[in-house]
Amino acid sequence: MRARAFYSATLIIVFAVAADLRAEDAAFFGREVLPILSENCFSCHGPDESNRKAELRLDLRDGALQAITEGEPDSSELIARVVSDDSETLMPPPSSHKPRLKPAQVETLRTWIKSGAAWGKHWAYEKPQRSAEPVTIDKQLQTDCPAHFPFRSPIDQFVWARLRKESLTPAPQAARHTLLRRVSFDLTGLPPTIEELNAFDGSDSSYEAAVDRLLASTHFGERMAMWWLDAARYADTDGFQSDANRENWPWRDWVVEAFNSNMKFDQFTLEQFAGDLIPNATAEQKLATAFHRNHMTNGEGGRDPEESRVDYVLDRVNTTGSVWLGLTLGCTQCHSHKFDPITQADYYGLTAFFNSIDEDGKAGKGAKPYLTYESKHVERAIQEAQQLVDSRQGPEVAARTAAAGPFEEWLAARKQDVQQGYNAWTPLLGALESSEGTLLTQSEDAIIQADGPNPNQDDYRLIAPVKLSRVTGLRLEVMPHDSHTRSAFSRGRSGEFILTDVKVQVRKTGSSQIRDILVKSVVADFIPTGNGGYGDVKGLLDDDPRNGWTTKGAPEIGPHYAVFALAEPLVLASDEELTIELRQRSTLGDANLGRFRISATDQRGPAVTEIGPAPLEQLSQSSVIDEKLRARLFEQFLTDHEAYQICKRALDRAVAQLNEAKAAKKTEVMVLAEKPEPRDTHILVRGVWDKHGDKVLRGGLTSIAPLATENPTRADLARWLTSSENPLTARVLVNHLWQLCFGTGLVKTTEDFGLQGEQPSHPELIDWLAVECIESGWDVKHVLKLIVMSSTYRQSSKVEELLLARDPENRLLARGARFRLPAWMLRDNALRASELFHPAIGGPLVRPYQPTGVWEENFMGRFTYEPSEGSSQYRRTLYAFWRRSIAPTFLFDSAQRRSCEVRTSRTNTPLQALTLLNDENYLEASRALAALVLGKPQPMQEMSLRVLSRELREAELTVLTRERDRALDYYRNHPDDAVTFLARGQFEPDPSLPTPELAAHTIVASLLFNLDEAITHE
Amino acid sequence: MSDAAALDSTRRYFLGQCTGLSVGAIALSQMAERTSANDNVSTGSGIGGLASLPHMAPKAKRVIFLTQSGGPSQLELFDQKPDLIKWAGVELPDSVRQGQRFTTMTANQKQLIMPTRVRFTRCGSSGATIGEWLPHLQRVADDLCFIKSMHSDQINHAPAMTKFLTGHHLPGRPSMGAWVSYGLGSENQDLPDYLVMISRMQRPSDQPLYDHYWGSGFLPSSYQGVKLRNSKDPVLYLRDPDGLPKHLRRGMLDGLSQLNQQRSAETGDPEITTRIQQYEMAYRMQTSVPELTDLSDEPEEVFELYGPDSRRPGSYAANCILARRLAERGVRFIQLFHPDWDHHSRLTSWCTARCRDTDQPSAALITDLKRRGMLDETLVIWGGEFGRGVAGQGQWDSPEAGRDHHPRCFTMWMAGGGIKSGISYGTTDDFSFNTAENPVHVHDLHATVLHLLGIDHERFTYRAQGLDFRLTGVEPSHVVQDVLT
Repeated sequence: MRARAFYSATLIIVFAVAADLRAEDAAFFGREVLPILSENCFSCHGPDESNRKAELRLDLRDGALQAITEGEPDSSELIARVVSDDSETLMPPPSSHKPRLKPAQVETLRTWIKSGAAWGKHWAYEKPQRSAEPVTIDKQLQTDCPAHFPFRSPIDQFVWARLRKESLTPAPQAARHTLLRRVSFDLTGLPPTIEELNAFDGSDSSYEAAVDRLLASTHFGERMAMWWLDAARYADTDGFQSDANRENWPWRDWVVEAFNSNMKFDQFTLEQFAGDLIPNATAEQKLATAFHRNHMTNGEGGRDPEESRVDYVLDRVNTTGSVWLGLTLGCTQCHSHKFDPITQADYYGLTAFFNSIDEDGKAGKGAKPYLTYESKHVERAIQEAQQLVDSRQGPEVAARTAAAGPFEEWLAARKQDVQQGYNAWTPLLGALESSEGTLLTQSEDAIIQADGPNPNQDDYRLIAPVKLSRVTGLRLEVMPHDSHTRSAFSRGRSGEFILTDVKVQVRKTGSSQIRDILVKSVVADFIPTGNGGYGDVKGLLDDDPRNGWTTKGAPEIGPHYAVFALAEPLVLASDEELTIELRQRSTLGDANLGRFRISATDQRGPAVTEIGPAPLEQLSQSSVIDEKLRARLFEQFLTDHEAYQICKRALDRAVAQLNEAKAAKKTEVMVLAEKPEPRDTHILVRGVWDKHGDKVLRGGLTSIAPLATENPTRADLARWLTSSENPLTARVLVNHLWQLCFGTGLVKTTEDFGLQGEQPSHPELIDWLAVECIESGWDVKHVLKLIVMSSTYRQSSKVEELLLARDPENRLLARGARFRLPAWMLRDNALRASELFHPAIGGPLVRPYQPTGVWEENFMGRFTYEPSEGSSQYRRTLYAFWRRSIAPTFLFDSAQRRSCEVRTSRTNTPLQALTLLNDENYLEASRALAALVLGKPQPMQEMSLRVLSRELREAELTVLTRERDRALDYYRNHPDDAVTFLARGQFEPDPSLPTPELAAHTIVASLLFNLDEAITHE
Repeated sequence: MSDAAALDSTRRYFLGQCTGLSVGAIALSQMAERTSANDNVSTGSGIGGLASLPHMAPKAKRVIFLTQSGGPSQLELFDQKPDLIKWAGVELPDSVRQGQRFTTMTANQKQLIMPTRVRFTRCGSSGATIGEWLPHLQRVADDLCFIKSMHSDQINHAPAMTKFLTGHHLPGRPSMGAWVSYGLGSENQDLPDYLVMISRMQRPSDQPLYDHYWGSGFLPSSYQGVKLRNSKDPVLYLRDPDGLPKHLRRGMLDGLSQLNQQRSAETGDPEITTRIQQYEMAYRMQTSVPELTDLSDEPEEVFELYGPDSRRPGSYAANCILARRLAERGVRFIQLFHPDWDHHSRLTSWCTARCRDTDQPSAALITDLKRRGMLDETLVIWGGEFGRGVAGQGQWDSPEAGRDHHPRCFTMWMAGGGIKSGISYGTTDDFSFNTAENPVHVHDLHATVLHLLGIDHERFTYRAQGLDFRLTGVEPSHVVQDVLT
């Protein structure tokens, strides 16, 4: 089905030994020895005492000395055990399924013990130090470096020092257009425009100007926000149960603004953790705390809200661990960490910071605390929605006016038709079935009478051909009869009937399949109250036997009826029959209909949605047409006047969008606020929410970074995270920023800097950057600029087979990074390239195109998705509505937004190909792009410039021309297909453009959007 | 030279030498002998999958998991407790309850025992007890293995279903199907390894089916279940837009492939070769999927076997036919979801409604697989995330009453590949409240399913967030040996 997207190294490169470490250095232990112990020993001999075997612990020096004799590997039990041939004594034991230690690993252990078994910390738990710049140690480095790789910052020195040691050469700088395209995507998530391309000459100064321009662009904040929203597990719905909508999107705009104004990361942290606790906090600072409310909420009926509340508290700690500390704290919910020196008490000490939020575990609209917030971005959305309404009001009025003429003709004809009387309803005659054996007979007037056996429950089916040109609705008449109990409706004990569901289906003669016909609404002339679930006629449509229709409780026994409107007019072929199934499956049963009749109509509108005579029936009974009837007839006429309906539906959708925008004026954003009386925090035994263990106080990670403040608050927690004493946060942050630009972090396991995480490919580099970050005052733009200005970053991503085999994952950075762009950038790219793009910043949610039915399927119809219209459709993907239970279908490999994700996978599947080929977002962009270039001197070249940021070469042009001409040839001969192909979505090309040409160029545009080059960070 | 590079040069040779051979055909030939630069991937019978798997000879080649969402009542369907009548209306003894927490829906009412009103039949030569609401299943009882001592530890739907499918109650882990797809790959190159179908219902369900139920969690997203939809696009974005004839699509893909190959030569990135293959696979899916979902070639007797609802596309019954067609095509993991088993009230109308939807088609699937000789190699699993409690919810002696969630015991059945037929395994106490003999935790079920597929659940791990995760989690769990052939 698929090819695996990840390539594992054929050659194992040991990353850690960048500097020449000596075995007696503490760092040697941290980088070389500890990983071996952690991987192979700690699950039984590590920090977690609940699982500790033989009372031996190897994560502390004192413990390890039980198995090690310093300086004497041969008399160390540790060595004896890992090389043992006896499966009884061998470590790790075969039952652990861990492989035997490799000879090189054993050798490392021996060397370490021999040199005195110096102890140290895991590299990431030592404070980062700025190591000396490599050239100051080794002047030769500068001399040896190829001219095309100037040292623009110490980044390049660290990278080159490593490459030289590996006898590798850095790649030359990437081509001009590639470089600008790369940095534009990395810093703004958008491709360069043609003007920006033209303005860029490839020189150093021109490059720096471009970088500065990109960093200053408002799109920079949007790009960074997409990263942050993934980490923050941001979504627009709860995620559980009914997946209720939220209004937290103003927080997203706060994030965009924070990045754009280059809010320093320590402040950024403080406001999100404790904006509410800042003295005289602004609304925006309170808004920032929504970060810690972005978790899923579960309002499932029957769930104890306290269990949910505890989940949320834990989620906040786990998220903090992943995003700031690069630690998998979640492991310590149940027991002390198996690998890292984090105790369960540490973990619950962190939860204590979040345990006194003034929340009660509820979801939906009850998820307090809220901040009532008015976004400054709503006004624009309202204005745009209003413009759309305005633009559609005129056509609606005009269409209505234009309908007057045809209406008169129609009315004249109808008057003729109804002269001999008119009945909107045609009784259906057909075959009858009963599931349980009731004898059903139909008389000539189509009335059906039940006789014979009287089962407790039964389903009746009438299978009838229909003579009408179409069916828009059905009517069910229920009738009393003397053969029934009390001369009422049924032969059951009470004489009453209970109908539980009505199904409408179509079957074609000879076909094994049937088609369900959707009934949209039902009304009845009598609806009783107080019969438990049975009464309301709407119950007939929901497939639920616990509700349905009865007329029990009517003042007197007499005929009643219900009218069903089909969702769409149904046209039956001559070999098709209509099946109407009446289900009578009530809880107690014994209430099957005794006498009834079913009729069909071809009238839309009031005839099938109201009780009472249809307009045409009124017409047939009236000698004069008064104003009221005339108006009613006009409305009836309009229901079938498609020219008007098109305008009307468009207007209705625009009005709905306007109402939605207006409703967004005032939002209730879920934020943090402290309970007046704090809750006690306990260790939860085995992590179970209601199993309280020892009480704990707020605190940090005692072994890694203690938090010394007395009675600390969430603000203190934030300050602790971004303190220069905290060894993790700055490293984790710069690693994230590196990952944004290179696709992979210097530490590949972005989420785990602990003992089980991967070691950094360039340890001194990540530490240098971390210190630089702290010393710059946590300046994100500064660090990003350092990265993208480096020669390392600017390298070409082309790779020769030798280097590919040597370093398939490009961890050594002897070339630029080449990886598929995230799906959201692909959509934004298509919008920008086709100029459909609407660049507004912030504001209420939008809904890009998504296939119909996607939400309905998972929710059995509870939610429907209406794509945005007008310019809202072309907003950046950042602003798209994110339903947590069903992620946007046009994205792939995206974060799931359920729990924090800081590293997403990049796969390569046929489903992605189908999305890029057939998703409306891309098809519409293709049409718009084709329309944009058609008539220009070199349309294909211009498309290429917009999609690939470069001109096509001759060979490429030949291929594209061939495909265009093939399409052109076809569409010239099949102009209707061209019209069909283009008639989707809401983009309306200039009508003067020739349709076959437009269709043919649309195919070429789509091809370009699908090119590997177009979807790849090169 | 790496595998990818070798493929590359082969293809260049073909393009240079074999004019007239379409690019699609070349990509096809590559696909047939597909290996990947990823040394994880085996070249054995499965496509994709880990070279280290299977750990042992598999007894089942594939799984059809008939997931009954909402919690079917074991007391009405399988777990007969005739003596309960003596306890009717009596409060559940504390000795039985053992501190079990109830949901907030019934936590504040007295737990009064409600015996079932359903008549049970001892079926087939095995004498399995099956309630009257499942008349068709009664007829295939001898092909089934009932596990009556299933238990879980989650009492609310979403956490319980998440646990039931992913081994953990919080979203974020891979679903069983994703694990199997990752481990074993597929026997079919034209269809996804893991396909999911949801019954089309009219009633808005109170338990939505979240897509993390078939998600890949921390595994790469290519292993997630692909939803087979009852729609013109059975797989999202499968259909080309109207007005685009097939030959133009083919031409466009050939052009795309040619340009991508040029790029591949320029950049040296093997990922491009993979991408070319994925586009060809997408093209083939455009044919293979509609063929799969078009039931018009099924004879009339098949619809008679699966029941009248099978004529209605999107129904559970129609999905059961599709499940068999997918099994015939070698799809590894096929999962059906039927929602709305959450009968808190009116058992006789609510629970029976779901029985009507599922009874005949579930039984028919067993019969159908068996007569085609496929049951031996296909593992069929039927069950939901938990069972129902013995106390009535609402007034216990009223027809309005239903039953609340109950994780401490419930019944599932399995059939086919490697499973003993005609047995009932495990028992519950006299109240069907606690497991009595041979309890089977959901993790034990997972271990057993993996075992049948040739996978040792303890050795089948994936490194994420610094930990080696496995489907069965960290607590000890065991393969239920007694139900294996």
